[in-house]
Amino acid sequence: MCRRFGLLLILGVLASPLFGQDTLISRLRIRADSLLRTWQQAVAIANLADSLERERATIGRDTIAVGALRIITNASPLPVRQAAALAWPAIDSLYGSAAADLAERPYFIRAVDPDSNARRAVLHVGLEVPWDLDLRSTTTLLLTTVPIAPPDRALATWLTGVLRPSIHPREDLGGVYLEFVTAPSQAARGCFMGDIASCIDALGLGDTNHLERWYPSAPERRAVVAGSFADFFDHGGSAQALRECVAGRDASCTALLRSLPADVLPKPLSDAARVSLVRDALRLGGQDAYRRLLRDPEAAIADRLAEAAGVSVDSLVAGWRNAALAARPAPVELPWWAIGVALGWVTVFAGCGLSSSRWRL
Amino acid sequence: MAPLRVWIAVAVGGCALIALAYLPPRGAAPRGPRFATYSPEPTAARRRAQAVAKEWRETYASLRLLEDRQHVKWDSSRVGPAIIFRGPTLPPTAVRTVEAVADSMWRALGLGETKVRAALVIALERAPGSAPGPIPDQNGVAFLTPDSTDRTTCMAFLPANHFWTAVLLGHPPRHFEPDWLARWFQSGLGPCAYYAAYGTPSRSVRSWLAARNWDVALYLGTHGIAGERFLSVNLLGDPRYSWYWDGIYSLSPSTVACLAGRLDGCRSAVLYGADDDARIAVPEIVRLEQGWWRKQHLLPGERFLGDVARDVGRDRFQSFWTSSLPVDTALAAALRQPVGEWTKQWERRFIQPIRLGAAAPLGATLLALLLAAVAVSAVALAASRRQVR
Repeated sequence: MCRRFGLLLILGVLASPLFGQDTLISRLRIRADSLLRTWQQAVAIANLADSLERERATIGRDTIAVGALRIITNASPLPVRQAAALAWPAIDSLYGSAAADLAERPYFIRAVDPDSNARRAVLHVGLEVPWDLDLRSTTTLLLTTVPIAPPDRALATWLTGVLRPSIHPREDLGGVYLEFVTAPSQAARGCFMGDIASCIDALGLGDTNHLERWYPSAPERRAVVAGSFADFFDHGGSAQALRECVAGRDASCTALLRSLPADVLPKPLSDAARVSLVRDALRLGGQDAYRRLLRDPEAAIADRLAEAAGVSVDSLVAGWRNAALAARPAPVELPWWAIGVALGWVTVFAGCGLSSSRWRL
Repeated sequence: MAPLRVWIAVAVGGCALIALAYLPPRGAAPRGPRFATYSPEPTAARRRAQAVAKEWRETYASLRLLEDRQHVKWDSSRVGPAIIFRGPTLPPTAVRTVEAVADSMWRALGLGETKVRAALVIALERAPGSAPGPIPDQNGVAFLTPDSTDRTTCMAFLPANHFWTAVLLGHPPRHFEPDWLARWFQSGLGPCAYYAAYGTPSRSVRSWLAARNWDVALYLGTHGIAGERFLSVNLLGDPRYSWYWDGIYSLSPSTVACLAGRLDGCRSAVLYGADDDARIAVPEIVRLEQGWWRKQHLLPGERFLGDVARDVGRDRFQSFWTSSLPVDTALAAALRQPVGEWTKQWERRFIQPIRLGAAAPLGATLLALLLAAVAVSAVALAASRRQVR
């Protein structure tokens, strides 16, 4: 009897950690369930609080309506209405019929004392701006913070951000021209020379094998490694490969670049070029172009752009390229008389220096 | 007297000019576009919801690890860690591929049949709203070390983000290199790799590691010292930019001192937590939060013990790992040199010693000397030409 009891006791002692673990798991499960319920309640309360904050942000404020833009703001010298009148045509021309949705997504702007020592309430909704912004800055603010719904993941990834109206369209295209002629990439140069397939590659609209498409030659790959990733690769196991790459061994350059995630490889044409292409597509496509662009998030970006623009992607890209070439920045020209003025001043100062008498004290 | 008045007038006039240039009147037009300097802050209720969500994620990860530890199925035909998938079901071919990669990674670490076995719980990304509860944290890696309940199993919880979920489901991007998956598994094993390779550490070593959240034993790499490309020290960026120095000075003083090549700093950075008799929780769950590298006491600490092990050899590292001596004594005995000295040399393999304190650039120094020489020469010349009538 005693032996049996002893055996049971030993078994009980041996199994006690397992019971302990079961208890712990049960405790954790109860805690997880309880936290889940608490979280659900907390989220409901937070949603309510956010909604109340939005309501509170409208109390005692004016609503300014220009087109479909709705701006809820406090009384201040900030030129909101005038800025909205300037911003609306640009917003309307970019988003077309989708801009009507902005009536449901107002701006909340709190104009505050520009004195940084002035006391401010905590901001939970919208934007806080000093009331001394001028018209140009306020318009830029409205254009860069349009409360449009964000695009789908695929388009946002390709664009690296949100599409906004252009503030300086001519300068934007001029920037694309500079990229054409300075990017260390055959795709960009091919695009500049008129090869539309190269433009499509450079914009990341074609084959996803970007390394071969963007930087097909050994010197280009070496330039990318040495120019953009020298510090990154100059550590640990990749340091030797970096030295070989810089010394001219293309296999090392290729291996280093292949070890990078695809979205890290420098684009031959920047995000600004992609944005300007989308703006062109929307301009060509008319009022419903933006809606068509967002219609099928699963489709390839090239197809979506063609659908939005209502023309083939080749035509779209060709038009965009021509616009970029036409926006070539004007070279700095020195007027002929400026040379004479510069030489004149040099002569005056030299004459003063040479003709000065000894110092007199 | 008259010259003094002139000088005072000149000084006052200069001050007025400077004030005119730098102190614009109140309400003056800004020089360029200037936007909101204050972003919206979440409401107190939203912050509370976020805090509860964080607590739930931690509790849920602990629960998953403990539950999964009870139900791990060990496959005798494999040598690598057991792999448990959470989320969408993987096709059998994908599971086999993943297991093969895990096995080869395990062998590359020099591990075979080990006393402490490891299991990787891989949580695949779910579609939003497909499961109750907050959105899982895709950076919340966690480890459950062996304890009295189960002395031979170490669990690693490895969330797969969008990229890794696509890879595991058999849709890798075209540029995907085969060894990336093995590297990901390797980094996901964390302390479990050490448990598998060297067994359970002694109480003093375990207490030291627990006090610093295992930050010096997160990566048991396969290559030699400085033989891996990615290091937390790389995240500091380029010394030419200000954010590099922001990153440096956000670290603890001993960590910065070690980066500057100071022996005492290196010693303190390594032995942080060694003096505390930290209470080891049961179960011990080690969590790595997003941005864990910003809280390291040694850079790149994640591979410190891995490099020590490779440098001193298996036997000496094993004697350190299981030594009941204080950590500084046991580590110095294994290294056969002072801890600070070895660490200083080790640090040099990753980063050049940073310069602390004010230091004028060489160009500026030369320019200043040149200007001083010109000024002295001008005064000397003027004095030599002075004529008194």
